[in-house]
Amino acid sequence: SRTKTQSTEQCLLLVVLLVSNMLLTKEGVTSLPICPNGSVNCQVSLGELFDRAVKLSHYIHFLSSEIFNEFDERYAQGRGFITKAVNGCHTSSLTTPEDKEQAQQIHHEDLLNLILGVLRSWNDPLIHLASEVQRIKEAPDTILWKAVEIEEQNKRLLEGMEKIVGRVHPGEIGNDAYSQWEGLPSLQLADEDSRLFAFYNLLHCLRRDSHKIDNYLKLLKCRLIHDSNC
Amino acid sequence: MDLRHLLFTLALVCANDSLSASDDLLRWPQISKCRSPELETFSCYWTDGNFYNLTAPGRIQLLYMKRNDEDWKECPDYITAGENSCYFNTSYTSIWIPYCVKLANKDEVFDEKCFSVDEIVLPDPPVHLNWTLLNTSQTGIHGDIQVRWDPPPTADVQKGWITLEYELQYKEVNETKWKELEPRISTMVPLYSLKMGRDYEIRVRSRQRTSEKFGEFSEILYVSFSQAGIEFVHCAEEIEFPWFLVVIFGACGLAVTVILILLSKQPRLKMLIFPPVPVPKIKGIDPDLLKKGKLDEVNSILASHDNYKTQLYNDDLWVEFIELDIEDPDEKNRVSDTDRLLSEDHLKSHSCLGAKDDDSGRASCCEPDIPETDFSASDTCDAISDVDQFKKVTEKEEDLLCLDRKDNDESLPSLANTDTQRVLMNTQSENSQLWPPFADSIDSASPSVHTQLSNQNSLANTDFYAQVSDITPAGSVVLSPGQKSKVGRAQCEGCAEQNFTMDNTYFCEADVKKCIAVTSHEEDEPYVQEQSCTEDAYFTTESLTTTGVNFGASTAETPSSEIPVPDYTSIHIVHSPQGLVLNATALPVPDKEFNMSCGYVSADQLNKIMP
Repeated sequence: SRTKTQSTEQCLLLVVLLVSNMLLTKEGVTSLPICPNGSVNCQVSLGELFDRAVKLSHYIHFLSSEIFNEFDERYAQGRGFITKAVNGCHTSSLTTPEDKEQAQQIHHEDLLNLILGVLRSWNDPLIHLASEVQRIKEAPDTILWKAVEIEEQNKRLLEGMEKIVGRVHPGEIGNDAYSQWEGLPSLQLADEDSRLFAFYNLLHCLRRDSHKIDNYLKLLKCRLIHDSNC
Repeated sequence: MDLRHLLFTLALVCANDSLSASDDLLRWPQISKCRSPELETFSCYWTDGNFYNLTAPGRIQLLYMKRNDEDWKECPDYITAGENSCYFNTSYTSIWIPYCVKLANKDEVFDEKCFSVDEIVLPDPPVHLNWTLLNTSQTGIHGDIQVRWDPPPTADVQKGWITLEYELQYKEVNETKWKELEPRISTMVPLYSLKMGRDYEIRVRSRQRTSEKFGEFSEILYVSFSQAGIEFVHCAEEIEFPWFLVVIFGACGLAVTVILILLSKQPRLKMLIFPPVPVPKIKGIDPDLLKKGKLDEVNSILASHDNYKTQLYNDDLWVEFIELDIEDPDEKNRVSDTDRLLSEDHLKSHSCLGAKDDDSGRASCCEPDIPETDFSASDTCDAISDVDQFKKVTEKEEDLLCLDRKDNDESLPSLANTDTQRVLMNTQSENSQLWPPFADSIDSASPSVHTQLSNQNSLANTDFYAQVSDITPAGSVVLSPGQKSKVGRAQCEGCAEQNFTMDNTYFCEADVKKCIAVTSHEEDEPYVQEQSCTEDAYFTTESLTTTGVNFGASTAETPSSEIPVPDYTSIHIVHSPQGLVLNATALPVPDKEFNMSCGYVSADQLNKIMP
């Protein structure tokens, strides 16, 4: 009978331990899980992801500046494009912070979603840019190559941003707000002047938006990872 | 005209300058630049021009308009940025929004500019430059320092709103040119290998990371090692790398190496570096011989090479390449081939043995001393050695035709051993002296030759190509009319030294007899070369008979024209490679004594005939 009691006690202890363990682990979800379900790179930290994202956004902005300068040099001289380039970009419908105060006040999740929105809005135009720029008469190889590269890197940045958003705010994919691009017909106009102006406009908008995304990401990185002390 | 244009433009420029200097010309106000130092505010600056002095003093205004605005607004702050400037603080500044500013007074617009703030970023210069010594070299001459600075205070780098990169420039105090380093993001930079005895100046400037334009330079930082109280060594003079010595020594070494290679006995090394230039060569013949023109020796060498014999004859050539000159009947009335040939050869007397100017291109291949002839087969130098034989041979033939030109001591005899199937009819009807190598005076023979030719011109009406007259080096057999007697080549010239014991040779009986006769008469005839009747000689009946007659009687006799020419058209024996034996078709033989219609006797029979 003694062994019976002993064994019963042991069983009970085990049960208590199990239950307490279950209860404890259930309530202990205070910190972010390092590896949420479905994630592949468990070992990559958020800081590392931000570093990569910033590098990519910087590279995309660098390429956009260069392609715009080259296009300007080669096709826009003497056509008076500059004075006309106050046209809006298709991403103007997205309300993004327009100066530092606004950017500091916006919540980082919203900012991340906005970044995602802008990146998604550029998915389609970049694909068409890469293909239509090849139809330009005697387009230099550097322009062609850069257009393709920007399109690729933008895709990678979009993936990276989605990963970051999944880390920072798991469960919410964020609103799918992005602005549709309707500018494809203008890139295919028969009149060469109009068509070149459409390209000029698109590249100008691309440079601007890539600078915006670069700035927002650097701001977020300093804020989230380095605690506003870059 | 260009000079006039140039002078005109120069005059215009001069006038412009003088006018502008005198303030008579109106200069319009212009917006010089718009700049944002930190991506939060921006300012625009303009120049006045001389507007105020000349026209009604209306106030110049700067108006701006954002993209979404409907109307032009006036500048909010004319003061903060200085004179002729407009300052937009953070509340008026929106990044990534297109602005347009214009300079105007009430009546007219002077200048207009459109931009967005992110495009006009020019940061302020960095501040608080300082340096620290990292280490010194063991000799104490050079040292490394680390330079640090702070980003411009206006730029909010900490929050990451703007990212800057910096460019450092430094130079020695008494130098004029600044040395630049690559732009970098970090605010500290090491400078290596500075000379401790010298003082340096350092300055830094910054720009937004993806822009091209830099902002202003910072204040200059003076680096002086003596002030820091560091021990160093004065170097009076600098030792620069002795490039001059390196060049000299390198050239000397190279020269010495080349000389060693040249002098070395190692042929392989020599061949590797100085490959030998190929020169045309004939096997077994010293090129010097050819150069000196000693053809006799060359001929002897060539003649003594038996292997050339076999190379000359291919089995197929006899059958395949028999060229028949088929002419128009009209032409036959005119000059016949032989005459033409002979006359041509006579005309060509000047170029018999000399080097021919052949355009065939082979002249580049061969030494010019070697006389060239028409060789259809030999297009390369390689074949030359083989066909040199032919060359020499044919040269001899032509030479014979140039009877008035040379003594033929050296020319003829090389045919002896060459076995060429060349058949030139040599027999002359009249003169026994026409056997050139035997003849003492060939010169005298030539006139008779001509007379012979002229005589025969009239006689010949038809050309029966029934006689092998020549063999080209290619191996083609050239047939020629039978009754023409060709001047020149004497068959069996070396009758005195004929070797009738050779097999496979067919001789005319008359020929043999003739030889015998000749031998008896002219024994002391000098022979340069050994000759033998090993050549297959083909004579027509007529020539032989005439020869025979001549020999016997030694009287000139014009050949009878009525003697019909036998047509040698059927091949009796193909005796390759020595030749063909053609059968004579049956002909009415006028005289009995000519019945020995050149029966071709074999060597055995010949022996019987010979005494």
